[in-house]
Amino acid sequence: MSTTSSSEFSGWGKNFQSRSERVALSSIDELQGLLTKAGRGRGFLPIGLHRSYGDSALNSGGTLIDLSALNTISIDASTGVAVVGAGVTITQLERAALMHSLFPPVVPGTGFVTMGGAIAADIHGKSHHRTGTFSACVRRIKLLLASGAIADYTPEDAEFWATVGGLGLTGAVLEVELQLKSVKSNSADVTERRVKNLAEMIDVLGGADADFEHTVAWIDLSGDYRGRGVVSLGNYGATSVKSKDSNSAGPKLPSIAGKNFITPLSVRAFNEIWFRKPLKNGPVALGKYMHPLDGINEWNNIYGRDGFLQYQFVIDIGKEEIFERLFAGLRSLKAASFLGVLKKFGEQSQAPMSFPRRGWTLTLDYSTKVPGLEKFLQEFDEELVAAGGRIYLIKDSRVSPSLIPAMYPELNKWREIRRTMDPTGLWQSDQARRLHLC
Amino acid sequence: MLNGFKNPGRIALIGGSSEIGMAIVTQLPENKSRQVILVDRIGEYALDVTDKAGRERVVARLFDEGDVDLVVIAVGLLGNNTELSMADNLVAAMEVNYVGTVHLLELIAERMKKQAHGQILAISSFAQVRPRPDNFRYGSTKAGLDFYARGLALALDGTGVSLKILRPGFVRSKMTAGMDNAPFAITVQECGSYGVRALTSRRLVTWAPSLLKYVAFVFKSLPPMIFRKISSR
Repeated sequence: MSTTSSSEFSGWGKNFQSRSERVALSSIDELQGLLTKAGRGRGFLPIGLHRSYGDSALNSGGTLIDLSALNTISIDASTGVAVVGAGVTITQLERAALMHSLFPPVVPGTGFVTMGGAIAADIHGKSHHRTGTFSACVRRIKLLLASGAIADYTPEDAEFWATVGGLGLTGAVLEVELQLKSVKSNSADVTERRVKNLAEMIDVLGGADADFEHTVAWIDLSGDYRGRGVVSLGNYGATSVKSKDSNSAGPKLPSIAGKNFITPLSVRAFNEIWFRKPLKNGPVALGKYMHPLDGINEWNNIYGRDGFLQYQFVIDIGKEEIFERLFAGLRSLKAASFLGVLKKFGEQSQAPMSFPRRGWTLTLDYSTKVPGLEKFLQEFDEELVAAGGRIYLIKDSRVSPSLIPAMYPELNKWREIRRTMDPTGLWQSDQARRLHLC
Repeated sequence: MLNGFKNPGRIALIGGSSEIGMAIVTQLPENKSRQVILVDRIGEYALDVTDKAGRERVVARLFDEGDVDLVVIAVGLLGNNTELSMADNLVAAMEVNYVGTVHLLELIAERMKKQAHGQILAISSFAQVRPRPDNFRYGSTKAGLDFYARGLALALDGTGVSLKILRPGFVRSKMTAGMDNAPFAITVQECGSYGVRALTSRRLVTWAPSLLKYVAFVFKSLPPMIFRKISSR
């Protein structure tokens, strides 16, 4: 039986609340019944674990469809093909796959992303320069359409690519068939290097593509904003290590009176320690290496009741001078980020709304209470667009809708395919309304 | 939709030529994707606030065209038109300040509840605190509005919609031109900044200036004999 509740929901950034109904469904039949019987109201949106930072998974006044009941995993150990329910998380899939010495080739920084969410955002990970986005390993998706019909789509179909990165606005993903990668052990061989500024970081990261399957850098954007940091490079390892076998994250970070603990001073202190921490060299459990943020449950409480936003963009190689301008601006605002991540992307997928494409991607977290940050980011967005860059919509809650067509030049193509899949606009989200996506 | 900085995108200002209304809207934090719709006697969204059908039509259109994140209702009549009798002035003020504004609030709240988000700012007045011989007619219309708005704010709890009340004292504007400055008089711009503060405040009521909160307390607490003496001066 389905359960319905009405309450307030937030994105992972907790920077605003949205009131809607949430229906937890136990079967696909039930879901079909809901779509065909219910009055349209403010539309429906399939959701996962609300790990998107902004309003991508919110639908105020409408209905959220919780598909966590679709939680089956079946793996053919001989071919490495997995058929997985939409509600299964990356961590659950990893654990099941490792039992057959297999692993999903693309996993994001948190394991608490469902298959449905991974498709909707066309997520990427540390391996993007080699493997591309999540969709690159997907062979088939089963999709519930607005009409109530169920269809299978493969990479041969335009509907497949409209759904990949399509922010849940083309239908509800029910099942994903994907090709796992065979691995020798449950570990990654990790090498970390300290770098003293952005130029060195770009040098080390760029040069590591050929030798390492996984590359990423933590960048310190506080203090002098020169972009010192730690570059982390890894390959699938050969020796197994002991790892915690649990589906839950580590200890929970409580919200302490809704207070924000992220200040220029606390970030500087944290970053100083992080920069000087002993470097890893050797095998690390894959789960721990891939999902460093999952060590602390609900770490997003650290920003207090006003929440935070994550800003992630990609810029072409050769346009690195934009970082200097960004850092100078952030420095003048005293906007310090304790989760700065730099990564070099490989080739773009075919999906019109997929974010990653060849270039540098930088991710930053900020309290929404930094004075002047909103105006600064609006101005930086324009510079970014002028330089041919774009931002990641699954992280966004503040970009101007007028910039979206320039950031996503295939927006109209996506809209056309979407319209054929959902002519009446059944699938809706707060983000789609804010950015006039549909 | 509100953006991640809780900054409204699509705004309707009812009373588009209201100086206070305009001062509020123009002092909101900058948002490049903002759209401000002016609802006034003339223009694309023309509205005669005393016309019931007109109120229904304009509110329906505003919300049919897209989500509205913030509505500022800044219509008001002092009721001091020298060409009209006292009684006619009273009726005119009642029709705008109470009937028109309260009906608009009701219609807007209904539509905002459907979208499950949005903010409403209603402009009341210090005049509604306690009747005084020189402005009790105007004060009574604002008292009615204020009473209704406080009730509506309670009724909206848990709907995702919030309503805030701004209670200005004497504001030096076109509306009060030619009148003697009352104590604690503020400029239109100052009043606008209190309006912006009201929107992010956790409190239902914001006074402009803030000190009026205490003045109002004293006003209400004075024994009738003393109050009569002071207010008849």
